[in-house]
Amino acid sequence: MDEALAPVLEVRDLRTTLFTRGGELKAVDGLSLAVGKGETVALVGESGCGKSLSALSIMRLLPDPPARIMGGEVRLGGRDLVRLSEAAMLDIRGRQIGMIFQDPLSSLNPVATVERQIAEMLMAHDALGRHQARARARELLEQVGMPDAARRLDAYPHQLSGGMCQRVMIAIAIACGPPVLIADEPTTALDVTVQAQVLALLKRLQAERGMAMIFITHDLGVVAETADRVVVMYAGRKVEEAGVDDLFERPLHPYTAGLIGATPVPGAERAKRLADIPGTVPPLNALPTGCAFAERCPLVMDRCRREKPALTTPAAGRLVACFAAERDAR
Amino acid sequence: MKGPAFFSRFARNRGALLGAMVILLVALAGVLAPLLFPTDPLRIVAQPELWPGEDPALPLGTDSLGRDILAMIVHGARATLLIGLFASAVATLIGVSVGATAGYFGGWLDEGLMRGAELFQTIPNLIFVLTIVVILGSTLGHIVIAIGIVSWTPIARLTRAEFLALRDREFVQACRTMGMGHGRIILGEILPNALPPVIVLSSLVVAGAILFESAVSFLGLGDPNVASWGRLVGDGRQLIRSSWYISAIPGVAIMVTVLCLNLIGDGLNDALNPKLRDR
Repeated sequence: MDEALAPVLEVRDLRTTLFTRGGELKAVDGLSLAVGKGETVALVGESGCGKSLSALSIMRLLPDPPARIMGGEVRLGGRDLVRLSEAAMLDIRGRQIGMIFQDPLSSLNPVATVERQIAEMLMAHDALGRHQARARARELLEQVGMPDAARRLDAYPHQLSGGMCQRVMIAIAIACGPPVLIADEPTTALDVTVQAQVLALLKRLQAERGMAMIFITHDLGVVAETADRVVVMYAGRKVEEAGVDDLFERPLHPYTAGLIGATPVPGAERAKRLADIPGTVPPLNALPTGCAFAERCPLVMDRCRREKPALTTPAAGRLVACFAAERDAR
Repeated sequence: MKGPAFFSRFARNRGALLGAMVILLVALAGVLAPLLFPTDPLRIVAQPELWPGEDPALPLGTDSLGRDILAMIVHGARATLLIGLFASAVATLIGVSVGATAGYFGGWLDEGLMRGAELFQTIPNLIFVLTIVVILGSTLGHIVIAIGIVSWTPIARLTRAEFLALRDREFVQACRTMGMGHGRIILGEILPNALPPVIVLSSLVVAGAILFESAVSFLGLGDPNVASWGRLVGDGRQLIRSSWYISAIPGVAIMVTVLCLNLIGDGLNDALNPKLRDR
């Protein structure tokens, strides 16, 4: 992270707990991250590691009950979102933080036209008339590279392709010019060629507007292409954070190494079986006392089963929570 | 839900088309009643108990007082249809408000509202209507409100079910991330998605309301200044052994109208139900 630039959005020690019949689940356990202007931070991890829950916690959109933010801060423009009233959050959402989702078709209202959905967003935040809203909607569609934008205004979501729907979602998310954009697996449901287009579009919009972006994904290929920094999550905790090049060059946490090893590399020998990480993420109600990754870790030591490793700084701009990595660094 | 496609789907159901045409005719008769029979339909025009066909000028005959049955039927069409429509509107307004609130917010609000709805459902409908009418007084407005009050529960349950299914959909979540408030999400985003089945049910409530009003009028608790069909049936009941047609003619009118409203409900279901769309 550029030290000279203060982060646009800073999350400090965020803790979200789910209160269920099975007990209290620490779904997000002490997450910290910061995104600067024009910077992209990727949030990486397997399904169920707390990525999306973290994003929804930042937006304060988790239903209470069962979810409650138990501690931490989310600082944006000098305010702590965790302590804001619901009414104040209404204005933050959309205007300060935009969000796009995994499945673009189901994220759009099936019975409303594209124009109405963009206009709804504009009119929720600004006093715009119908005509102004329509003109603005058309501008936005052109900005997100919608082919034949004027005609698409009157289209319904089911008449559009997945890629076009995602462009509409992006247009809605950036409509009020938010300084922060959270993208929750925005390309997972799309074809590979469309994925590349949407990623390029997001990068272009980010460059034009200097948006800070939190990019949630489990696809390391996408991470390599878009992110500046990467935060790796496992079972609700941050286990590693590094610049994107450092991370791919020399992953410090065995879980990160496993994730990278499990990504197919073009040109690599077919005969070599793709490395996988044995086992699954432990359920949140049965976390071990020690490191949550210990059962699946190739480098596991006795100490790992007894204590939870804390985040340490083995090198400038890097963080890792692993005893094995600590030992190697010494 | 665009115009031409909607009508072609509706028209594919022959029964619904027939029903719509008959109801249109009844509505037209109601609207044009003052032109067709400019004099007061409750005026005595001929000798009493004239059978249909006896006098060519009075094709449906006269009742026990010598009033023209055809004129009363045509004038009654207006009252009967209006009662049905307004009572259904009242029921839909209450039902959708309660159902949407319960389904969207859930929790104790949902529990409270639904237990309230169950309370209404446990009281026999007709007795409930009669009680309200007796307390408030027999005017057309009170009868409409009374019928609305007993008919809203199924609409509330249906709306609640739709809202329960829709409130967790991704597009609703997306609307929240855009900073939309509850009111905007309920009215602007979820309600349009929940409305089609509710419209179908409301059309059936119109038919139910007409039957309720007929029953109330038959029992002599109807608005004395309005000649609805139910009242005509009631008026004729003393003569049912000798001149049964006095009760039978408005009875048939009620039956045909209610049947046609049900057919329209079926057709609306076909036209609005996305699952049946490509049939």
